[in-house]
Amino acid sequence: MKLISKTLIYYLLVSLPLLVIAGLLSYFLIKSELRDGTDETLASEKTHAEKLIRSLNALNPIYLTIDSLSTIKLSSGSKLKSGYTDTLVFNVEEGENISARILRSYYSFNGRTFQITLLKTTMEEEELLESILATFTMVLGFLILSFVIVNWLLSKTLWKPFYITLSKLKKYDIKSHEQRHFSSENTIEFNQLNEALSKMTDKIYLDYIQQKEFTENASHEMQTPLAVIKANLSLLMQSPHLKEEEMNQLQTIENTVKKLSSLNKALILLSKIENNQFVDSETVSIKALVSRVTDNFAEVIQSKSISLDIESSEDILVKMNPALAEILFTNLLQNAIRHNKGEGKIVIAIKDNQLEISNTGEPLNIPKEEMFIRFKKNDASKESLGLGLSIVNGIAKFYGFKVHYSFADSLHRFEVFFS
Amino acid sequence: MKILLIEDEAELRKTIKHYLHQEGYVVESAADFNKASEKAGVYDYDCILVDITLPKGSGLDIVKQLKDKGSKAGIIIISAKNSSTDKIKGLDLGADDYLAKPFDLAELNSRIKALIRRRNFDGNKSIIVNEIEISSEQRLVKVNGESVNLTAKEYDLLLFFISNKNRVVSKNTIAEHLWGDDSDQMDSHDFIYVHLRNLRKKLMEKGCADYVQTIYGIGYNFKVN
Repeated sequence: MKLISKTLIYYLLVSLPLLVIAGLLSYFLIKSELRDGTDETLASEKTHAEKLIRSLNALNPIYLTIDSLSTIKLSSGSKLKSGYTDTLVFNVEEGENISARILRSYYSFNGRTFQITLLKTTMEEEELLESILATFTMVLGFLILSFVIVNWLLSKTLWKPFYITLSKLKKYDIKSHEQRHFSSENTIEFNQLNEALSKMTDKIYLDYIQQKEFTENASHEMQTPLAVIKANLSLLMQSPHLKEEEMNQLQTIENTVKKLSSLNKALILLSKIENNQFVDSETVSIKALVSRVTDNFAEVIQSKSISLDIESSEDILVKMNPALAEILFTNLLQNAIRHNKGEGKIVIAIKDNQLEISNTGEPLNIPKEEMFIRFKKNDASKESLGLGLSIVNGIAKFYGFKVHYSFADSLHRFEVFFS
Repeated sequence: MKILLIEDEAELRKTIKHYLHQEGYVVESAADFNKASEKAGVYDYDCILVDITLPKGSGLDIVKQLKDKGSKAGIIIISAKNSSTDKIKGLDLGADDYLAKPFDLAELNSRIKALIRRRNFDGNKSIIVNEIEISSEQRLVKVNGESVNLTAKEYDLLLFFISNKNRVVSKNTIAEHLWGDDSDQMDSHDFIYVHLRNLRKKLMEKGCADYVQTIYGIGYNFKVN
């Protein structure tokens, strides 16, 4: 929910009950004020009526109507309760019942008792109340409307720096570290926020760079010691007095050094891809690339009794670094060979701007989302380093290609969508 | 044959020097930029092995210095940074080859020999080992004067053996030489065996002696007396 909607809701939650209470309170106050006014008028009319009775001095009963409904008449025995009452009277003109206030009193003069009934319609009173209520509703509506407008204007002006910062943060990419400049504002809070963000992103970027450099440097620094080990192993192998067991040990050391150095090379390659160190690109023919790399592996594929099928209706031309293109496809092919089974097959399809490579093999033991993670291996016992697919992923990411993996009908399928 | 080795890592310098010495080369070494620059400026060498990252300077500047001077020495860059930019830069400056660390000494040896062969156009173009004669320019092999039809891999294997004759070369080294980075692809040892078997057969059919000795567990030795 947007900030502006939230503020509005809170505002309404507080203001609505308040407005209702204030409305009711005013309603009752005004109503009682108006009634007091009516009562006072009635009371003064009563005094007037009594004066009238006294001044007439007649022996016959008087029937006097002050207005159409108010009467003074001789009381006939039974007495009605005197005082103020509310009632409904039928208004002939309007043809409906209207509410009225009645003051009834008895007045004795010269041995006779007069019943004074004074009536006053309260129609005006109700109309007044109605218009007050209408005003209240209008005020409420106006308040809400003006609040929405004010809030909108505020978010346009006051909150503007906040939204600018927010959009910068959304676009922030640690690899380029652009958008890092959070401008200073004249609102203290936003200024502090921007300062804190600038500091934070700078720190994160610095850590990121240091970590990246560490991986790179560590791998580079390892090359020379590895070269020393390798060179000395070669020298040691020349010794004519080696026993069989020692030869085996030498072989083990050599294999391990080789693995270590491949690992190192792969890590350096990954960090180079991530550091955008492969800038020069050419137009690469995927068809030619596939036929060159598969030729290179022809013996391997043949020896494993794997059948290879290449379907290419049209060529795909991709603008990328040729070395990376080769690594990308070699890794995919190696993967298809390594995780194949005896008498299996590999199908490579080049079509519609997409390269597809599928191979027979056992289903995955790891979730397929983890496939492209460094050092994640489906089968720990295999000779793989666990870096091939993350290199594929790194190259694809660098060029904005999509790599998709699926498994169906005991076929592992990798699809590369060139963009 | 005089070689200048420019490498700052003492252990590696020592080992390479020792190995090349065994191969019959006269090896001089330099551990930093100034020493290297001085030696390269004063003396003539047949081959110069130069590391790029050196104390007090870059190996690439030494390549430049040699070329400016008009040196005829073959230059092989050995670098821990397997970067294509450095490689291109080095080759553009006039270096002949580029070898990324960690490399095999046998590989280095075969590169040096190939380089020297390419340099000595005036001299003997073919390599002769007893009854085997290899013309490296045409990639032709003759045994007792009769040509042998070898596949590309068999030819590379034979040349590599001969470049490293009388030395034990491990299967890993051979695999790396034949398949480069792709040698990580498992079973390369089996392929070496297949190629070697075919090579032996083809050579012996023409009456060539069997020079290849299997060194149990490690690799092979091309033994020539």
